[in-house]
Amino acid sequence: MRATVKGRIAIFHPQGFLDGNNAPSFLTIDDIKATEALNIDMLLVSLKKVIFFNKNGLDVFIRLLDSIRSHKHIAVGLCDYDSAKFATINKFYGSTLTFSLFRTEKIAELFVPSNKNDSKTVLLYNEDASQRSAMAIELFDYGHNPVIAQSKKEFEEKKQNPDLYYAIIEETYLGLFGQKIATRVTGNAIIYTIANFLDAEITDTFNIAYHNNSLNVGFRLFIFDAYKVVSMNVHALNFFTKLASSAAEYNASICFVGLTFEKTPITFKNDLEDAGIMFFDQMEDILKNKELLQELGGSSATSSKHTRTLTKALIQELPGFIDATVSTIAMMTNAQALKEAMNIQTLEIKNPQNQYASSIGFYGDLDGMIILIFPKDIAKKACELLIGEENEDEEVILDSLAEFVNIIGGRAKALLGEKKHRVDITLPRTYANVDSLLEMAQHKKGVQVDLRFEGSNFIFFLTR
Amino acid sequence: MVNQEQILRYIQNIPPAPFIVKQTLDYVRVGDLTKAAKCAEEDPALKFYLKTLVNRPIYGFRNEVSDLAQIFTILGISTAQQILYNYLLTLLAPKNWGLFHLKTQQFYDLQASLSRKWVKILSHLGLLTHDTESAITLLPASIIVCDALFGEYKSEVEQLRSVKALDYNTILYRLTKMSLFDICTEIGQKWELPPAISRIVHASSGLDQEVDEKEKTLAKWMHLLLFYELSQNAYVEAGLNEFIEFQIEFVQDIYESFMQVVEYDESDR
Repeated sequence: MRATVKGRIAIFHPQGFLDGNNAPSFLTIDDIKATEALNIDMLLVSLKKVIFFNKNGLDVFIRLLDSIRSHKHIAVGLCDYDSAKFATINKFYGSTLTFSLFRTEKIAELFVPSNKNDSKTVLLYNEDASQRSAMAIELFDYGHNPVIAQSKKEFEEKKQNPDLYYAIIEETYLGLFGQKIATRVTGNAIIYTIANFLDAEITDTFNIAYHNNSLNVGFRLFIFDAYKVVSMNVHALNFFTKLASSAAEYNASICFVGLTFEKTPITFKNDLEDAGIMFFDQMEDILKNKELLQELGGSSATSSKHTRTLTKALIQELPGFIDATVSTIAMMTNAQALKEAMNIQTLEIKNPQNQYASSIGFYGDLDGMIILIFPKDIAKKACELLIGEENEDEEVILDSLAEFVNIIGGRAKALLGEKKHRVDITLPRTYANVDSLLEMAQHKKGVQVDLRFEGSNFIFFLTR
Repeated sequence: MVNQEQILRYIQNIPPAPFIVKQTLDYVRVGDLTKAAKCAEEDPALKFYLKTLVNRPIYGFRNEVSDLAQIFTILGISTAQQILYNYLLTLLAPKNWGLFHLKTQQFYDLQASLSRKWVKILSHLGLLTHDTESAITLLPASIIVCDALFGEYKSEVEQLRSVKALDYNTILYRLTKMSLFDICTEIGQKWELPPAISRIVHASSGLDQEVDEKEKTLAKWMHLLLFYELSQNAYVEAGLNEFIEFQIEFVQDIYESFMQVVEYDESDR
């Protein structure tokens, strides 16, 4: 059984009965290797479709989760259970519970970084005050707005108005968490929350893959929320210096906010400034200053001082990328997409209204970005296999569009792999309106291919 | 990926029930097991199937049973009818499975195990009749159809499933507006199975809205039985656990009774 990957979370979905006899059959050696190779922040086992499980059965999955957590520093656990299953899990593991429990997949998603810039208001209750606080801090660090009920009575009262909350978090438990640095997106800026004493461990806890993803999909401003940092040593200094050098290649900015130098040598500040890192006292100094934000690249990527040009190697692979797109559409719809025109140009969208866009980056031996722009009805049609019929919920459609470009990215990666080009793909990004895409991509030169599908045109754009 | 033309082609190519099997079934239905045995003698493949099946450990006979008349007498009318339908289904099964890592013998074992447990369930429910007993035989047709339709699209399905936990039945329905269970109904019609059998198997997907109470009860038990079997090691390894979506709410109210009927013993698991 392979895990399904959505954003930064991979989930196993066993069905039926799960006991010590059959559980090992769900995970072949190849499945385990494939899971270990995933670039994720959280690995979960869904119990939604499991009608019976016992401890021996769960232990098989828990062993895998524990092993992956210990060497990949990611969060692991179980999700999608009802109250009865939650009680059973607690009975099995009690105080020895080391993994996390998320009542739903939707709740789990709140505890990992995403490309989405949306703060969610959630109602939170746990009878254990330390769990309550730990969850609230994590949620806050990921950019959400937790409303914490201090008592069961208060929780039950607040629960009466479910429409006020994106999710109601109960029967959830944070085990040994991934110890990754919390990440959130604000506008076009990525904010990392760091705390305590920073040392060599930061190379493990900082999610470099996510950072590279963000650079590749067009983020240009990275802010370290360092209010809670006590001090750092030379290893952490070296880490940030290197990070600043790699960001410079993308013309990206790195800022520290709230860092004090009471216990950190002031010479470190000079070294970091020499590397290009900027320091601010308050987060608002950046986020509320539109001019500064634009200068730093946090309002859009158009402020980049130079754009990266297409390479010959990338253009040589163009047929493969188009084929990956066309064949994915054929697979998802049983209809053919036909190529109509192809030009090297900046992105040109004739009718920007009523269109959805999505992008996915790749980096490694080759780097670049695939952008797809669809009329909304065509996007829905292309994703019908993933979402079912007649779904009008924009968030669901955009999520499916992300899954759709993820498949294209996966195919492109496989095609490049056949030619011995090793690349990784980024998280997909979606745009409910094309203006925000244009802010990032309108000055980029690339190959624009106009494709025709079901009587309408859509755009494939390959750029760097 | 799979399209409607491919499904229509598949349905057109379903072979009709062989004459001898049909005639044997007719004799069984009217209770003439002697004539049924004589008729079955004329089809060496059927004869071989019956002998092999009845002598498998699951039937628990100490000495080998080789005489067809004896076999039909041992089986009785209902079970003989059930086994003849199982035989029909094996004619549809592929020699080499393309999508699932399944061996022919494992498929036979699945048929046999489903059939045996189904009889226990029907006895528990007090609904054991010739036709209800045979209903289970059409269920594995969904696995055969799934393998036949998706076998050549294995890597495409893997890519789809890497981003979304979709089962084959849902993928097929969203692409073609036909489910695996619709195709099972077509098979049932082609083989002239009693319509109730097709209806129960169709409802066992757990997705049908309008089903009469008795058939709904049978469909629930069939759905849970299928997932009980598909949770066995061999079938999990074959990839069958993922082929349709388990409708847990559909069967929740019968779960406790089911565990008793199949005598599930947790202590050795």
